[in-house]
Amino acid sequence: MKNKKKNEKLPLPQILNLDDDFSLIKRFIEGDESTFRVLVQRHKEKVRNIIYLTLNNHDLVDDIAQEVFLTVYKNLGSFRFESQFTTWLYRITVNKCKDHLRKIKIRQIFSPIKESEEELGYEAPPENSDIKEIVHSAIAKLPDKLRVPLLLKDIEGLSYQEISESIQCEIGTVKSRIFRAREGLKELLKPYKQELL
Amino acid sequence: MMKSFYNKYERLSAYIDNELSDEEVKKLQDELKFSKELQEKLNELKRIKILTASSQKPVEENPFFETRLAAALRIKTPWHKKIRRYSPVIGIVAASFLLMVILKYNPQIVDRVVEQQKSNIAAFYKENLKPLLFTANLNNEDIFNFALYHQLPLDKQKKQCLQFGSDKNGKQFFEIKSGGIADNENNLEKFERDLELNTDQKRQMDSILSSYKKELASQVLVNDKNTVAINPNIWNYNKALTADLISFAAKVSKRKLRNIFPHEFTGEYNERDLNRMVHAVKAVNTNKYIFLTPDSIFSDKYVFNQEEFNREMQQWSEAMQKNMQQFEKQFGNFNVHFGNNLTKLKKDSSWERDFNVVIDSNMCRVHIPEVVVPRINIPDMDALDGNIDSLTTHLRDFYFKFPAHPKGKNYSYKYFYNDSTKGMKLNFRAFEFDSSFTDKNHKLDTLLQKRFGNFNYGFNPDSLASIFRYFMHDSTNSSRDSDLREQMQQFRMQMQQFEKEMEQMQKELRKSMPQIQPEKKKPFEI
Repeated sequence: MKNKKKNEKLPLPQILNLDDDFSLIKRFIEGDESTFRVLVQRHKEKVRNIIYLTLNNHDLVDDIAQEVFLTVYKNLGSFRFESQFTTWLYRITVNKCKDHLRKIKIRQIFSPIKESEEELGYEAPPENSDIKEIVHSAIAKLPDKLRVPLLLKDIEGLSYQEISESIQCEIGTVKSRIFRAREGLKELLKPYKQELL
Repeated sequence: MMKSFYNKYERLSAYIDNELSDEEVKKLQDELKFSKELQEKLNELKRIKILTASSQKPVEENPFFETRLAAALRIKTPWHKKIRRYSPVIGIVAASFLLMVILKYNPQIVDRVVEQQKSNIAAFYKENLKPLLFTANLNNEDIFNFALYHQLPLDKQKKQCLQFGSDKNGKQFFEIKSGGIADNENNLEKFERDLELNTDQKRQMDSILSSYKKELASQVLVNDKNTVAINPNIWNYNKALTADLISFAAKVSKRKLRNIFPHEFTGEYNERDLNRMVHAVKAVNTNKYIFLTPDSIFSDKYVFNQEEFNREMQQWSEAMQKNMQQFEKQFGNFNVHFGNNLTKLKKDSSWERDFNVVIDSNMCRVHIPEVVVPRINIPDMDALDGNIDSLTTHLRDFYFKFPAHPKGKNYSYKYFYNDSTKGMKLNFRAFEFDSSFTDKNHKLDTLLQKRFGNFNYGFNPDSLASIFRYFMHDSTNSSRDSDLREQMQQFRMQMQQFEKEMEQMQKELRKSMPQIQPEKKKPFEI
């Protein structure tokens, strides 16, 4: 009886497969660089999607994804196994996207303002556009800090915990931002309330 | 209210994301059963979530992504980029190595840099030096007091002065003191009056003093940066001036001179040696000055251009006559601050190698062991030095007699002292007087041996007067004397106790031997 209680309190042993992320990283650290290719194959689509969702630009996805994996390759030797590899990977991805957005903003300061950018407010999508495009366009209007957690949750299916570690903020903040993003999206889609909501 | 509203809807948002705990889910489901509003909001949020999820097309796969990445990984980082990361360390190492090489083959470079900086600082403080005579507007009285008290005023209003002297080992020192100018008014007039000089003789006296005034012009220099530059030959000038004055006084009247120097001066002096000494001092040409500045003290060469100064003096004398106030404003504001500036010297130990500096709140004394006062080559110079010191001491000190105080009574003594210039009355309380003994054991032994009889006590002027002089001029000795006074106070208390015991013993003796009569005491004499 006593033994049974003890067993209940103990954490369940973690069963590691030979090909799980940690094992692959350990082998990489030991000198087997071929494991890095496996990691890339496993996570590249997720990384590319996050980049696309964050930047909303197809052309940039591969370039930034390459930067992400180059950074991972350089720093994998110092990985500390304190969190999931994916958490670390997504954090690098989000940071790379943030860096890119920052560069764009700096460039905009020094470039002439275009007329289209001067107009504020919601732009009506083309009349013949379908629902997907309308929603996509509305999501693109959301500020980065609301849009990114919303898409990481609803498209990529990350948990609040993973999102909070990726964008480096509290879980409560993630929860609040996702709700506010949905509220904002509702407001942007009001003109299409009958068709959509 | 608004916050709770948001919290409620936030929970709904988290609920559709499966991010609530079991307990929260259960609680929320209970609420949903009874709230239409919540149900509507939940449906709205679910619709938005579905719309969001369906709005995004997945990114098209790129079959060449891995190939591109592998190619990028293969490209080795250029060596200069790798080095750039270590550039700060490489810079420091290279600079250190370069410095080591330079110091190895040119070890004097640091000394040269330090010397260069020193000479730059020295040049800064040497700018615009003017004779103290000019800036402090010294008169003949000040020159006479320089001979008598070894003192030159820096600022008469603030009573700041420059004091010269020698310590027990014969090493010269000078000090700048605030409030240190003694009340030496009209000493020249008293001297002339006692010698009973006629008009011509007074003119001669003024001529001697004026000639020294001109000579002293290049010995103490000051500037607007509060620098004091002192030529070590000034100690010799002091002796020469004193000797010149004595020589002159003796020529006027040896008898009257003996009134001024009553005891030890015999009139047996060699006038020829005095004159040789005066000429020798004036002939010394040393350009090495001691500079006391707010930041440092150093010895360095400085050539004072007497001719140029004389020309300037001539120009300024006209300007002075026109506008005296303006002149004083421009040149008469020299003042050394003891508070902040000079105390910085204490923290800097570099000057201690050459100078020994003592600083307190109102005085800065500089002993100059390394800077030698120019030696004048006269055979009997030492004897003459001693004679002059002895004579000048008598101008300041005095000698008197007083009787022992009677047993058990606290007497005061009044003494009329004729110092040849002015009668002076001195009041001493019996025990207070004890406190100024330097050689306490010897003096108190004498006192004890003669306590029941009269005695004459000759105070050695060198001991008593030197203590008085310490109190008047030398604040560094005050602390030592306070220790002595404390010891004496304890000793006096022991003596009083001893006296009581003796009285008690006498009483007991009288009781036991009533036939013995006490001896009559002689009256006290002053």
